[in-house]
Amino acid sequence: MTPWNPGEDVIAVQRGPEPGGAGGAYRSFGETLRGLKTTFARVIEGTNTIQYPEEKVPVYPRFRGRHKLHRFEDTGLEKCVGCSLCAAACPSDCIRVVASENDPENRVSAGERYAAVYEINLSRCIFCGYCEIACPFDAITMGHDYEMSDYNRSDLIFTKEMLLAEPIDRTPLRNEGE
Amino acid sequence: MELLYKNIDEPGLNTIAVYESHGGYQSLRKALAMDRADLIQELESSELRGRGGAGFSMGKKASFLPKDKMDKYLVCNADESEPGTFKDRELMQKNPHQLIEGLIIGAHAASANCAFIYIRGEYDYVADILDAAVAEARAAGYLGDNILGTDQSLSLVVHRGAGAYICGEETALLDSLEGKRGNPRLKPPFPANQGLYQGPTLINNVETLSNLSHIVRMGAKAWSELGVKNSSGTKVVSISGNVQRPGNYEIELGIKSRDLIYGLAGGPPDGREVKFWFPGGSSAPILTAEHLDLPYDFDSMAGAGSMLGSGAIIVIDDSVPVVDVALKLATFYRNESCGKCTPCREGTNWTVHMLERIDSGEATPMDLDIMASVQEHITDHCLCVLGDSMAMPISSMIKYFRPEFESHIEAARHRNDLGAPPSPHPVEAVGSAAAGPYTSVA
Amino acid sequence: MPRPEQKMVTFTLDGREVSAIENSMLVDGAKCVDVEIPVFCYDAKLGQPVGACRMCLVEVEGINKLQTACSTPIREGMVVNTESDRVKESQRAVVEFLLINHPLDCPVCDKGGECPLQDITFGWGGGTSRFIEPKRHFQKPLALSPLIAIDRERCILCYRCVRFSQEVSEDYQLILSERGAHSFVSTFDGHPYVAPFSANIVELCPVGALTSQAYRFRARPWDVEGSGSICTLCPAQCNVTLTVRDERVLRVLGRDHDEVDDGWLCDKGRFAYQAMHVGERITEPLLRDGGELRPVSWERALQSAISGLTKAAGRTGAVVGGETTNEEAFLLQRLMREGLDSPDLDSRPGGALALDLHRALADPALSATVVDIEFAHAVLVLDCEPVDDAPILDLRIRKGVRRKGVKLAVASSRPSSLDANATLSLRFAPGAGEALVAALDAALSGTGDVDGLAASAGADVDQVRELAALLSEAGEDVVVLWGERLAHGPRGDHAVRGLLNVASRLKLASADGAGLLEIPSGANGRGLRESGLLSNAGPGLGEPGREGRDTPAIGAALAAGDLTAVYLMHCDPVRDFQDRGLWNRALSKATTVVAHAGYLTEGLIEHATVIFPAEAYAEKEGTFTHPDGRIQRLRPAISHARGVRPEWQVLATICKAAGLEMTFHTVPMVFRALVDAVPFYADLTLDEIGGRGMRWQQTAAAANLPTASDRAPYQLTAPPAALTPNGSLRLGTYRSIWAGSEVAVSPALKFLIPHQQVELSPDDAKRIGVGHGDRVEVTYDGAAVNAQVTLRAAVPTGTVFLAEATDSQPANLLTNGEPRLVEVRPA
Repeated sequence: MTPWNPGEDVIAVQRGPEPGGAGGAYRSFGETLRGLKTTFARVIEGTNTIQYPEEKVPVYPRFRGRHKLHRFEDTGLEKCVGCSLCAAACPSDCIRVVASENDPENRVSAGERYAAVYEINLSRCIFCGYCEIACPFDAITMGHDYEMSDYNRSDLIFTKEMLLAEPIDRTPLRNEGE
Repeated sequence: MELLYKNIDEPGLNTIAVYESHGGYQSLRKALAMDRADLIQELESSELRGRGGAGFSMGKKASFLPKDKMDKYLVCNADESEPGTFKDRELMQKNPHQLIEGLIIGAHAASANCAFIYIRGEYDYVADILDAAVAEARAAGYLGDNILGTDQSLSLVVHRGAGAYICGEETALLDSLEGKRGNPRLKPPFPANQGLYQGPTLINNVETLSNLSHIVRMGAKAWSELGVKNSSGTKVVSISGNVQRPGNYEIELGIKSRDLIYGLAGGPPDGREVKFWFPGGSSAPILTAEHLDLPYDFDSMAGAGSMLGSGAIIVIDDSVPVVDVALKLATFYRNESCGKCTPCREGTNWTVHMLERIDSGEATPMDLDIMASVQEHITDHCLCVLGDSMAMPISSMIKYFRPEFESHIEAARHRNDLGAPPSPHPVEAVGSAAAGPYTSVA
Repeated sequence: MPRPEQKMVTFTLDGREVSAIENSMLVDGAKCVDVEIPVFCYDAKLGQPVGACRMCLVEVEGINKLQTACSTPIREGMVVNTESDRVKESQRAVVEFLLINHPLDCPVCDKGGECPLQDITFGWGGGTSRFIEPKRHFQKPLALSPLIAIDRERCILCYRCVRFSQEVSEDYQLILSERGAHSFVSTFDGHPYVAPFSANIVELCPVGALTSQAYRFRARPWDVEGSGSICTLCPAQCNVTLTVRDERVLRVLGRDHDEVDDGWLCDKGRFAYQAMHVGERITEPLLRDGGELRPVSWERALQSAISGLTKAAGRTGAVVGGETTNEEAFLLQRLMREGLDSPDLDSRPGGALALDLHRALADPALSATVVDIEFAHAVLVLDCEPVDDAPILDLRIRKGVRRKGVKLAVASSRPSSLDANATLSLRFAPGAGEALVAALDAALSGTGDVDGLAASAGADVDQVRELAALLSEAGEDVVVLWGERLAHGPRGDHAVRGLLNVASRLKLASADGAGLLEIPSGANGRGLRESGLLSNAGPGLGEPGREGRDTPAIGAALAAGDLTAVYLMHCDPVRDFQDRGLWNRALSKATTVVAHAGYLTEGLIEHATVIFPAEAYAEKEGTFTHPDGRIQRLRPAISHARGVRPEWQVLATICKAAGLEMTFHTVPMVFRALVDAVPFYADLTLDEIGGRGMRWQQTAAAANLPTASDRAPYQLTAPPAALTPNGSLRLGTYRSIWAGSEVAVSPALKFLIPHQQVELSPDDAKRIGVGHGDRVEVTYDGAAVNAQVTLRAAVPTGTVFLAEATDSQPANLLTNGEPRLVEVRPA
């Protein structure tokens, strides 16, 4: 039997240059030095650390932070009618709405129904903004506040009263051109 | 040639004595002597078409009734509420026995032994005349059990409606007669199979039934030679509107429309021109002056895109704005729509709203397109023909008089000081104004 | 009429060959191939289509105009197009028309998310509207009734609710007022729409115009879950879907089951769910301590019950109401028979019926189904009032009469709501059912003294003869719907023999669509009997080890001191049974009264020693047996209220303490044991029962039913003659659909709580000298019921009717299950 001839199936392997020599040294440290060039350049620029919480990063106007519920400015009635569309749209299922019927003598919202319970579990919220988009009455919007840490998980369930309250202005807004 | 209206103005024709002195109730004897099948055959070969509006062959309708032995009914539709139509009133008021005789002949053909005349509530005084005539006929033995010694029995009840146009629609009429709200029923089943009290029912117009005695008397052949092909016999035409001599005229079908309007009715007042005319009551699409030379018969009217309907011609001359006619017409149908089916209920209402805006100048020419499209959406989509009855004439008015609608809007806008017209293309207007993105269009 | 034969035909739908039932409507036929034709006004349940909404227009080849698919019957070779431009344009046009006057308040509307109008607008609408004029306005929302709110702005005038009221429930209350675009749904004169089936219109409404006041704004469809079960409030056992949010039932919807409920529910079934979540409900064990019932721990309550019952072993009775499941019944009868050595147990309030007769009645050949009512040639409603006893059957009978030409005969003491639909209505003296069936038997057989028997029944002999003629001449399919009331009392055996004779004379056993259908007194009456809760029968209508006392005898034995303890399962004899005096004596004499109850009723407050909280039906697991033999599953929809334990576990615990071996860990294990004990249930498995139930008569094991030793026709003995009023009045009683704790505690239904009223005929009222609304006193032997007079022209002269189980002055103050004459005088 004739031994098998690999013939044309053989592919020549391309090998790197031999190690050692000046070329070798450059190849070993050249890229590292190139990286260090950026590092040293920044060293000259000085520190860029933001001293949070003393200093805060300003956010863009469309930044999606903590939710707010709104009232009509003229009548003071809640805009939310408790339709639950936000809860339906919420991908992390963190909104709970229980509606109730308005007493015509003592209205809470402008429509026939209002949200008797409106809770957002902020520990689950992913701040996607779908609730804001789903809302047919612009009753819920995403604010700029991102400081929501707390010592207790249950304190992260925001009730309607908390969401309706005027939030403390803690987050600087980025100005034009900034 | 006058058949139905012969001697119509003779005093006392509404009494049985005078009616009989003119040969009344002779046809009945002849008809009762005939076999039922022969009588239906006779009616079919006369080619009598229904005079109520739809123009369906009367004999054929009678032949649709099942032959089985069961309770069958004959109903005379005397709910004559179509604007412009007033032929039946005169027929019933002046010659009620002609109708009763026809009814008995019809009942014999349909082998019905219970008949009703459903007369519109506003014709109360006519109903009194009918009641008296029915009593006379009953006393003379033409109604009741075994009429003239034959096996045909018939009880006849004159029933007064309560003033709803929709009850002129045959199935709504049946519901109303049964004591329910007069709403049209779904067809099929047709009344010939399941009508009054679920029994087979023959429903015919007053004029149709009044013709029967003449057909029997003259023989189908002689009668059908009157008029023209497919439109045999005579027809009572109610002419109203802007003519000098409005009224009922009995004609042989097929005469020229111009002879009717200008000849018999005297044409519009001096100095005025015919602008358009309804050839068959307010639910027929309008025709214009250029159609005046058409022969007045079923086929010619249909060929011109309209219909002969109940034979009520309403002539409108050039002093009347078309918008006024359209608004009045649409309002009538809006008020008379029963509300059962969606296109008619909402479409008539919407049309009235749009016409009101057109009339006050708040509309734009685009609204005319919307209105035309709404009429299209109503046509043929409704449960009964009431929706079509508004949609078809309004459509035809927009078709023939669109420029007038547009100038009417323009004039009303100026009159009511509503400012510049909104642009028909608001999006382009914003771009071309180029004064910033928030410039108001108005 | 017998069921029509269904012929399959082939037609073309959008270019596809489809085979469907001939003459079924296109809309339904299209569903066979998943083609949805949008509809608003059409609902197969409502009968004849009306073609009002015009949404379903389709193109049928050969017909110029578009046709309504809801009313076009399918014919062989028909070519239908649902997707042409013409069709699509008409659909867009109709949606546009409908939305003209429909407010876009979907976020506020309760229907939002489950709204056909929303769905159809999304699926078939044009997406925009060209209507800019102001919409129509109405005052809203208005209360159409205390249960239903109506929002006329949202109404699209599809006529469904009006047709339901006019053609299904036949209460003729809803109408359309005005006409054209101004029409609106209302009642005549604006009075509230109160009827036993009124709230079905809420479910029928394709928009949010009719909404349930109780469910108003409670939840949106995505907040809730649906859970299928059955309603256990009456023997009709309608299939329901419970809407659950946060472990609370918020709503009850029908779960269409043609063979049980036809898709309808009564208002009691629809709203009594509220009773599960009220403060009145017992949610922890109660123990009598120092004369007062006090909440105690489960351990203590169980301990007291066990010690009380075991002490009285051999001297304990058990009385069971209707809401007990087959599994609980099986465990209870084991506890009594094996654990406590007491054969005294019963589930029939009116006393025992011979075992042989039970077996004869259960004969599969003789049993009719609910659907048989609809397709029968004739239906006899005998000594029952369907609307009170099993409401949904009332609708079935009306459907049969209206749409299928069923000839209906009603034979009852009290005027029936079905009289207007009946070909023949026959009245007999209260309690004289035995004489009536005997007279009917005589009239059918042509032998015997019809006149004498009819006189004994207090019925008109000509009517009895007419009834016999009607039933024998109508056709072979005759269904007799009879109430358990007929077999009550000491002569119940004789009445049932008469009934079986009538059945055999009419050859009901030989026709498929014919038979007897009993409405038992309890919701699961049939299941309880077949599970062995009878004084004279063990599980599967088998021989009991030892025959025990029946319900009245248990009462008497307790009162006499022969029994000292009693187990009350879901019943309060003082409220529910005849002879209130006897039961009050009996229970006060008993040393131990153990009860399972959901609510405190008068008898329990007074006499119970231990009360275990009963599960609500939404919490319960188990099986029920429908009057026509269909075993249905009850599935838990919510977890138990805090403090409530599964009742089968309570029973199992007591069984164990009484020395029985209990190896059950789950309800299905109990069911298995039950199936093993009931030979004719042998082929049933929970899987096969599934969500639709299964009739045991249709399984092969039905042949295992023990056969009766004696068969009809029986030799009947002469029934006692009906009492002659002679100045006083015959007393008849009835139990209203609204009687019961569930209605009394449900906030939505409270307005329907029945109050006692004395139903008199105008003649008798005149004789006594009282008028409508006057207060009278009805007395018998010193006991009295004091109530207002209701004059009813249809009440036969010489008879007075009182309601059972009312909140005060109930009829059982005067009754003991036997016919009685009472005095009525102005109070």
